[in-house]
Amino acid sequence: MVQSETKEISQNSTSSQQKKIHIRTLKSNKYLKRLMACYFFKAKIYPKIPWKYTAWTTSAFPVEMLWTYDIFPLHPENSATVAAARKLSKGLIEYAEGLGFSRDLCSYFKTNIGAYDKKIRTTYGGIDKPDFICTTGTICDTHVKWFQTQGRRMNVPVFIFDLPHQVAGCDEKTLKRYENYIVDQFYEWNDFVYDITGKKLKKKRLENVVRKSDRLCQLWQEIYSYRKKKPSPLGFNDTFAQIFPLVILPGIDAGIKYYEKVLAEIKDLAAKGKGVVPNEKYRLLFEGIPFWYRIKFIFELAQLGASIVYEPYTWAFGPRKPLGLSADEYLHAFARMWLQQPYYYNLDRRIEYFKEVIDEYSIDGVILHNNMSCRPNSTGMLDLKKMIQREIGIPAIIIEADMNDPRAYTEAAIKTRIEGFIELLEANSK
Amino acid sequence: MDKSIIAYFESSHDFPEEVVIAAKMTPYKILGEVRKPSETADQYLFKTFCPLARSILEEAFDESDQWAGIIVAHGCDATNRQYDIWKHHITTPFLYWFNTPMNDRKSAKKFFKEELKALVKALEEKFDLEITLDSIKRAIRLSNEIKSVLKELSNLRALKDISNSEYFETVKRAMLCDRTKALEELINTIPRWQSKPEFPSDKRRIVLTGSDITYREFMDILDRAGLRVVRDDLSIGERYFATQIPNKEDPLESLVLYHFNKPRPSTKHHANPRLDYLESIVNETKVDGIVSQNLKFCEPFAYDSVWIVNSFKEKGIPIIHLERDYTSKADHQLINRLEAFNEML
Ligand code: SF4
Ligand code: SF4
Repeated sequence: MVQSETKEISQNSTSSQQKKIHIRTLKSNKYLKRLMACYFFKAKIYPKIPWKYTAWTTSAFPVEMLWTYDIFPLHPENSATVAAARKLSKGLIEYAEGLGFSRDLCSYFKTNIGAYDKKIRTTYGGIDKPDFICTTGTICDTHVKWFQTQGRRMNVPVFIFDLPHQVAGCDEKTLKRYENYIVDQFYEWNDFVYDITGKKLKKKRLENVVRKSDRLCQLWQEIYSYRKKKPSPLGFNDTFAQIFPLVILPGIDAGIKYYEKVLAEIKDLAAKGKGVVPNEKYRLLFEGIPFWYRIKFIFELAQLGASIVYEPYTWAFGPRKPLGLSADEYLHAFARMWLQQPYYYNLDRRIEYFKEVIDEYSIDGVILHNNMSCRPNSTGMLDLKKMIQREIGIPAIIIEADMNDPRAYTEAAIKTRIEGFIELLEANSK
Repeated sequence: MDKSIIAYFESSHDFPEEVVIAAKMTPYKILGEVRKPSETADQYLFKTFCPLARSILEEAFDESDQWAGIIVAHGCDATNRQYDIWKHHITTPFLYWFNTPMNDRKSAKKFFKEELKALVKALEEKFDLEITLDSIKRAIRLSNEIKSVLKELSNLRALKDISNSEYFETVKRAMLCDRTKALEELINTIPRWQSKPEFPSDKRRIVLTGSDITYREFMDILDRAGLRVVRDDLSIGERYFATQIPNKEDPLESLVLYHFNKPRPSTKHHANPRLDYLESIVNETKVDGIVSQNLKFCEPFAYDSVWIVNSFKEKGIPIIHLERDYTSKADHQLINRLEAFNEML
C-alpha cells in the first residue's frame, strides 16, 4: 500500500541475461500520490481537532463501518508498510524487541510499536493516538493482541468484532448462526460508537457509503479483469499501491475518481497490447503480502520475463457490496460477506479459488510467501503447493521471508530459489 | 477403536467436556508427545508454527483410529487455521469444529449457547444417542466434584512437599481418563498428599503462568532450579478447576456462565481478567516470585508477556519471563536463568 516506483534494474543483479528492461508504472498513479498526501495530511491533523473522531483499524475490518459514522480511519498496518518502504522498519522492530516483544511476533505490530513510541512523521509510517480502536480476530490473533496491547498502552477503548471461523465443510445452518452473531455485534458496535462519539447509525449515510464502496470495488474488479490479457497491462508493481483506496477510503469519491482514471489507462494499454513487462514470458501468481522493504523483487522478476498478474492479497480488498437493502438487511449481508472473504478462505475454498484463478489468468507458476510474521496466512501453504504441482501441473515455490522485517530476507538463498523456479517455468513451457 | 473416546484439540480450556460426559463417552484432551518428533505433521505445517500444535497433530496421525471422533475447539489461530489440515489428512469417523467466542459481551454468551446446542445435536446424530438436560446436569456435578478435589490437592502444594511434576501429572491424568475413575483416584490422592513431609525449606514458592505446560520435564526443570510451583493459571492447572460450574435450571446456561468465569487465557478479549487472576493469586498466597514463559512461536502468550511482566515489576514483585523450546531435554541455558532468578529471590 506504499507508493509505487518506476525501476530499471541492472540485469547482472538478477539474471544471466544482459539487457536492461524498463518496467513502467501507470501515469494515473500521480493521482494516487495526491490521494495519499491528502489522507496523510488529514491523518496528522484530525487527531488534534476536538470534533473529529479517529479510530485505528485493521484490514478485514469493514472500514465502511467507520465512514458511516464519519469517523476517520487510521491504519497502523498501512503505516507500517510505509515505514518499511522508507527502510525504517528494521530499526522500529528492533526497538520493540528491546521492550521485550519476541522476534517471532508480527513485524507490522512491532513496526507500529516503534513508530508510535518514537513519534515519527505520518509520511514515514508514524501514527497518532486515536479516539478508539476497532479490530477483529478474523484473520489473525495478532489483530486482537496488537490492538489490546496498544489500547492498554495508549489508554483508549478497544472494540473487537469476533468473527467465527468458517472452517472447511461448514454448512449453511452453521453459517446462519455465525451471521446472526455478527449482526448482534453490529448493534453492540453501534452502542460503543455512540458512547464515545454520540453518533448513531444513519441508514441514509450507510447506504451512501456502501454504494460508493461498491462502485470502487466494481471498478477494481474491472481493472483486475484486464490482467487476464496477454501480456498483462497491469502488474504487482502497481496493484500493491493501488489498493490504498480499497483499504482505507472505500466510502469517499476521491478513490472512485482515481480508479476511473486507472481503468481508462489500462483499457488503452490493453487495446495497444502493451504489457507491464515487455516480452512477458511467464505469468505468475504471488500468494501473500509483498516484501515492502524490497519491492524491487517484483522488478527483478520482470528482468527474467516474469510478470506477476494475480495476487489474492490485492484482490481480497475488493468484494462487491449488496445494494438497495433495509438497514437490518445490510447488516446481515455485510455479516455474510465478511464471513466469506478470500483473505481467510478455508483450505477447501482456497484450493478451489486457486484452481479458478490459475485457469482464468493463465498462470504459469506460483510464488508462495511463507511469511515469518504471518502464520495464519502460511497455514495450508504446503497443501496448496502440492495441489498446484500435482493437480494443475505448474511450478510452485515457497519463499521464506517477512513482509516488514528485512532481517528475514536472505538475498542469496532467495535469488537461487528464484533462478531455479524460472528454470522450472522454462522447462514446463516446452 | 475405543468407541467411547472423544478426543479434543483446544488451545487452553475452551472445550465443554461435560457434553461428552453426558453422552456417556470419555473426553480426552490431546496433548501431543514431546518425546516424539512430529515428522508426519511437519509435512503439512511449517516448523515455524507452534510445536505443540504440530505435536498434537502428530498424535492424531498416530492415534485417531483409537478414537470415536475428534473435536477441535476454537482458541488460538492454530485451532481454526489447522482444522482444515486435520480434515484433509486425519482419518476419523467424526471431526467437528466447535466455535467458542473470543469476546465476553452479551452477544458472545448468546452465541456460545447456540454453539453448545449444535454440539449436542451433532453428537446425538452421529452416535445415535440422546443427551438429556439431566445427563448434562449429572456430568456437571461430576465435573464439579473433580474440580473441587483438584483444588483441595492444589492447595496442598504450598504446605507439603509435592513435586512440580507430581502435581502436573495428577491434573493431567484427570483430563485423559474416564472421569468417574479420575474422581476416585483423586480422592485417594488426598490422604497421600496430606501425609507428605512439610514444604521443603530450600525451595522458593513461585507462580507459573504463560503458555500451557504439557509435559512434565519442564516442571522438573523448575524443581531442579529450586523453584516450587504453588500456584498457576494454566489449563493443565488452575484454569481447569479454579471455578465451579454454576448450578442453573438450564445446564447449558451453566456451561455458558462457566465459560466466561474461569481464569481467562491470552487468546480472549478482554485479556485483563488474566492479570486480575494472577494478582488475586499473589494476594491470596505467599509467593516469592513469578515465572512467566511462552512456548516458542506461541503468539498470544508472547504478546501478553511484556504487559504481565511489567505489571508485576511495577508492583515490586519479582518476575522472570522465558521463551522455551518444545523439548523434553534439559535446556541448560534455561536452567541457568532459573537458578539465577532463584538466587535473586
Ligand atoms: S501480517 Fe498476518 S499476523 Fe500480521 S497483522 Fe497481518 S494478517 Fe495478522
Ligand atoms: S501453545 Fe500457544 S500457539 Fe500453541 S496451541 Fe497453545 S495457545 Fe496456541
